[in-house]
Amino acid sequence: MNTDELIRTLSANVPPVRRHALGRRMALGLMAGSLVTLAIVAAWLGVRPDLPQAMHGFSFWMKWSYTASVGVIAVAATIRLARPEVRSVGWLWLLALPILLLAGVGLGELADNPARDWLAMWLGRSWLVCPWLVLSLSVPIFIGLLWSFRRLAPTRLRAAGAVAGLAAGAWAAMFYCLHCPEVSAIFVLTWYSLGIGLAAALGALIGPYFLRW
Amino acid sequence: MQQSEDQLRAWMTGGMDGDAAAHATLLRALVPMLRSFYRRRLAGAGDDIEDLVQETLIAVHTRRESYDRARPFVAWLYAIARYRMIDHLRRRRTTIPIESLDDILASEGFEDACAARIDVARLLSVLPSKQARAIRDTHIDGLSVAEAAEAADIGQSDVKVSVHRGMKALMGRIRGERA
Repeated sequence: MNTDELIRTLSANVPPVRRHALGRRMALGLMAGSLVTLAIVAAWLGVRPDLPQAMHGFSFWMKWSYTASVGVIAVAATIRLARPEVRSVGWLWLLALPILLLAGVGLGELADNPARDWLAMWLGRSWLVCPWLVLSLSVPIFIGLLWSFRRLAPTRLRAAGAVAGLAAGAWAAMFYCLHCPEVSAIFVLTWYSLGIGLAAALGALIGPYFLRW
Repeated sequence: MQQSEDQLRAWMTGGMDGDAAAHATLLRALVPMLRSFYRRRLAGAGDDIEDLVQETLIAVHTRRESYDRARPFVAWLYAIARYRMIDHLRRRRTTIPIESLDDILASEGFEDACAARIDVARLLSVLPSKQARAIRDTHIDGLSVAEAAEAADIGQSDVKVSVHRGMKALMGRIRGERA
């Protein structure tokens, strides 16, 4: 096909693009994936039975604010990397803020408890499964974000894959909170973060293949 | 003629508001810009350049949502063009047969060979594309005159004349550079 014909074909179909179309598309992919993850948590893992009481406690909101703040920063970076121009994402260092805050809470908890309890607090009852569950729950959200990227133009594919994985991991961890009964900050800091980090690493690994266009 | 950033952006936002005429005008205005963008970077790539231009136009069309109306249009365009070029080179690289890659890597003077290739590509890029292709086919890729004629869909004498004229022009140019 010659270039003039191509232009005629392309111009035959010019749907309007809404303002903030990129943000909407990202939100749609994120929400679609989140619904699947939520359904898996509800149907397979089960929501913790004491959720209403837990929602009055500190540890539930600690977990939720940690994962949500990581999730929000990661989604912002994903949106930035969905545009083709190379622009700095230096503000990803903001991620240090929730991590340091959580570490502070963790140190406080350790100080309040005798040293013989520390190992039990750190490992909880689910340290062996927690990172893997977070990683598995992140898959539907990651797929949702991959769908969002189909009409967008990432040019740094590995970085885009990594932040999309980070976002998927953090949001998955947020929904995992509905199931997970662990209470200590050092548990969350270690095992939640490990699961989220694994999701980011996986995203960086497969990003260049799935985000290519 | 290259349109101004403001003009291009106006067409782009017009197209994003659903104005098909503005969109078509934009795409037509991008063609010469993209051609010269790729020509400057991929000397002697011939047909590939038109493929790249078309692929970029398609990306500009289908990935419009990634454009932020508040930001410069040309920077967005060239970011897409650059990505398409890198992807193109990556695809091309994967088709290089392993044996010849081994040869290149194993042979001494790898760097010299690369530099020579770059020089040749640069020299050929100043020639009309028919002459450049005839020289590349017969003198670098080792085709016979008959094969080169068939590949380019021109007569054998045309190939010979193109090679001759091209070589003469190159010699003149090299002498000129030394002088």
